[in-house]
Amino acid sequence: MSRSQPPETGVDADAESIDAGTESFTGTGLPRVEDHRILTGEAEYVHDITPDRCLHMALVRSMHAHADIVSIDTSDAEAHPECELVITADDIEAEYNPMPTGIPKVETDGGDVRRLEEWSLAGETARFVGEPVAAVVATNRYVAEDAADLVDVEYDPKPAVADGLAAREDEVVVHESVGTNVVDGERIAFGDPDAAFEDADHVVTGEYSWGRISGVPLETAGVVASYDEETDSFDIDCNIQLHTLVDDTIYETLGYDADDVRVSVPADVGGSYGTKIAIHRYCCLAAMASKELERPVKFVEDRIENLQGGDVHCSDREYEVRMAVDDDGTMRGLDVWFVDDFGAFPRYPVNQVLKPLSVLTNSYEIDDVVYEYELALTNKTSQTAYRGFGVDPHIYALEMIVDEAAREIGMDPTEFRRRNLIEPEQMPYTLPSKNVYDSGDYPATLDRIEEIIDDERDGGLLDPAVVEAKREQGKYRGVQPSVIIEPGVSGSDWTDRQRSDRDELEDRSRGEVEELPEHLRAELRPDGTVRAFLATDSSGQGHQTLVSQLLADELEILPSDIDVDYLDSVDAPTEYGSAASRMAVMLSGATVGVARRLIDRAEELAAESWECATDDVTYRDGVVERVDTGETRSLAELAELDAGRDERLTSVSYDYDHPATDRAEFDEAFTKKYPVYPTAAFGANAPIVEVDVETGEVEILTFHTVRDCGTMLNPTIVEGQAHGGIAQGIGAALLEEFGYEDDGQPQAITLFDYLLPSIETIPEIEMEHTVTPSPYTETGAKGVGEGGMIDAPASIATSINAALEPLGLDEPADRIPVAPDHLLRQVRDRE
Amino acid sequence: MSTDSTGEYDGPVTEEITVTVNGRAVTATVEPRLKLSDFLRDVCGLHGVRVGCEHGVCGACTVQQDDRTVKSCLSYAVQADGAAIETVEGLDDDGSLHPIQEAFHETHALQCGFCTSGFVMATKELLEENPDPTREEIQTGLAGNICRCTGYQNIYDAVERAGEKLTAETGSEE
Ligand code: FES
Ligand code: FES
Repeated sequence: MSRSQPPETGVDADAESIDAGTESFTGTGLPRVEDHRILTGEAEYVHDITPDRCLHMALVRSMHAHADIVSIDTSDAEAHPECELVITADDIEAEYNPMPTGIPKVETDGGDVRRLEEWSLAGETARFVGEPVAAVVATNRYVAEDAADLVDVEYDPKPAVADGLAAREDEVVVHESVGTNVVDGERIAFGDPDAAFEDADHVVTGEYSWGRISGVPLETAGVVASYDEETDSFDIDCNIQLHTLVDDTIYETLGYDADDVRVSVPADVGGSYGTKIAIHRYCCLAAMASKELERPVKFVEDRIENLQGGDVHCSDREYEVRMAVDDDGTMRGLDVWFVDDFGAFPRYPVNQVLKPLSVLTNSYEIDDVVYEYELALTNKTSQTAYRGFGVDPHIYALEMIVDEAAREIGMDPTEFRRRNLIEPEQMPYTLPSKNVYDSGDYPATLDRIEEIIDDERDGGLLDPAVVEAKREQGKYRGVQPSVIIEPGVSGSDWTDRQRSDRDELEDRSRGEVEELPEHLRAELRPDGTVRAFLATDSSGQGHQTLVSQLLADELEILPSDIDVDYLDSVDAPTEYGSAASRMAVMLSGATVGVARRLIDRAEELAAESWECATDDVTYRDGVVERVDTGETRSLAELAELDAGRDERLTSVSYDYDHPATDRAEFDEAFTKKYPVYPTAAFGANAPIVEVDVETGEVEILTFHTVRDCGTMLNPTIVEGQAHGGIAQGIGAALLEEFGYEDDGQPQAITLFDYLLPSIETIPEIEMEHTVTPSPYTETGAKGVGEGGMIDAPASIATSINAALEPLGLDEPADRIPVAPDHLLRQVRDRE
Repeated sequence: MSTDSTGEYDGPVTEEITVTVNGRAVTATVEPRLKLSDFLRDVCGLHGVRVGCEHGVCGACTVQQDDRTVKSCLSYAVQADGAAIETVEGLDDDGSLHPIQEAFHETHALQCGFCTSGFVMATKELLEENPDPTREEIQTGLAGNICRCTGYQNIYDAVERAGEKLTAETGSEE
């Protein structure tokens, strides 16, 4: 058998054959450097880390959605010969702090301020099924579970509330001391919506729901915590996302300084999609146990724990949307109201109710808009971030009201959309909510997707004869394209709007705004190769590949001469990291910056060695050349020269500023703490769906999409992200949901109940790209990590509406997931 | 936990088993309740065997037992006594990539990679039975594996490319 040689740094032979210096790696689909170790089983995920003397933790979790904890008897568990420790709320409340929450204080109607606390273990009351009540540590996980079974918890169950709309009535209050379930809300008006709704020819109203879904990464949360008594500090290996930003959720809970809690994330994380931002509870508990036992303690969440109570569900919304429209098809005003069911605690750092402001009107020009939300607590698992961060339900609700409005005024929904698209001449375009779309040609994108559909009508999947024949068999085909924006590269300043005094925001100055750059380090090694260090974590997005290909281009060397490693939370500055479709833009900017700095230093060193001016030397193809003599110094020689110096010149770092930082366009958004997302990737989708009206089942026959994310740094990775995002979007649209009984019992606690899309559910995806570089970013790239999840559910829903239009149903895809029973009910009700 | 006649705890009941893992005989004393997946991961140190659900849905733990794929989270190590197990680590005998692994790499059929060894092993069985599968046959062959990151299209491509590579190899050996 012939086998290819292991690529030493994982770079393929065909990539090597691209001449250094003559062609660029950026823009090519350079195969990933991460793959070799993963494919051979050598990658080390956190599940694989088990230090010597390591003990294992299991958690005792509430089986009630709402219950007072009368007593906890740990004696039988402690008597188990292999049980080392049992911790309950009493143990930790004495020594540690509550976990930071998104809304630490709630102002009541009476004006007094109530604290809203969450502890790593439930104390007097359990507030959702799966809430941890005790932690048990033993010699291995099997035994830890045995001992956990021996912990005897006596509960006094109480009525529970498991519906966001019902929770607003406060008949059952999740936190009695707070007195209300509606712990936050805001109504923000832009322009003059009252006038728009009064003057318009029509006002169309719709109600839509978005069910609870989440990322459900294949790798569950995991942590290994080790306490060092000598230094009174912790080393925590875990697969948390944003480890340099949200490490405060760990060290503040433990009551330690940031420097004493070293959080490291392995190079390989088995998926996160935002959700692992909120796994700090496990990190804290394992750390507390390791301090008590002075031994490493490991916890790996199992799948049932992950699905029922892992603190990682996402948006769960009920919308009421109104649109004001004129007879000629002009969208005049928009009024979006929703309640978001956040579960038992408002999770830190989640405020995904606000991010939709960054794409308030999607691709349409509408000046007068109201955006209003209420954030309700219920006896359900808490929410965290998930790919799209609350934008996906917003875009979905918006596209639904657009469909309703078009049909109300008797206009073709595509024509209606086209009339209201933002035109390329309007770019950069400032939304009513003050975020700015950087660039794009939305009408051209809609035109292109229309052409593709026209081809399908001409002998393809939508050929009228075929559509008619299928209809006779009860199968309704249809498609409804739309243009959807993916806001990229979160500005961070707005993310604490919910914890700010909103009245004070009116006169906030630009100088008070703080933005987070992205940090990158690079150093020359003695053999002339380069090592770079990321301050961020990654979970499959190919950051190492991205940095090595960009750095190779900048330094005019080969990617195989570059290694990319990671910094832990202490060595890395507190940067924002991997979230919000951010890394392509931020890492590419940081890479260009760090490379330029390294080149400057190389020139400085070489000039010094030749005793000439830096102007007389030039960097080219991985060497510094002396212009007059043609002499050269290789990177290895420079490294040797540098080694003799007191302070190393060839070890550099660079912070790439967030692209909106100094741009006046964003001033108003920044000072008022409205979401700032300076890149607007966009695309048009046309999934062709077929609804079986006998079963209510929806099949996506093919998924056409035209996408633009500015400069494509690595088209293979870009497409991979889109494929994965669309697959998750299809899962959200048709399959996935964390359903709850009225009493708060979760219905989806295994992967038999929570349905993930398999190879059998995902259709062929027909993808095209256009390239409209961002004027705001170093490389022209736009963020692209959440696309697909943001746009697919809306597009599938509009296509279902279109397919069933002949039945005269009133926009049947009015809830996500559009599950068979929902569609069937509507078809039957009509009959 | 077991107790002796005096009621004293004398540790768990265990059994000695011998399993041939990637061609090497491993003898170990294990509890009957030890899952095969945990045996491979923790006793044999083969971390390429991943556990994503431990209830038979995701396929991350897929290995070959006596040349048939099994989900190693659904059986116990004692049931593998006397069997031959192959894991993803057994494919790259000399540190190089097996054609299936190469194909996954070349088609970008992995992102986070947590599902990947399961897919590679399922692909191996599929191609052993059917070197040139249609897309529908690939669908059936891989229906027991979930990938949350890549969306499957590249996985189809990987299987097809791996089939071609393996066929070319067999051809050149003939
Ligand atoms: S871990 Fe075995 S099937 Fe998921
Ligand atoms: S690559 Fe992440 S689950 Fe498949």
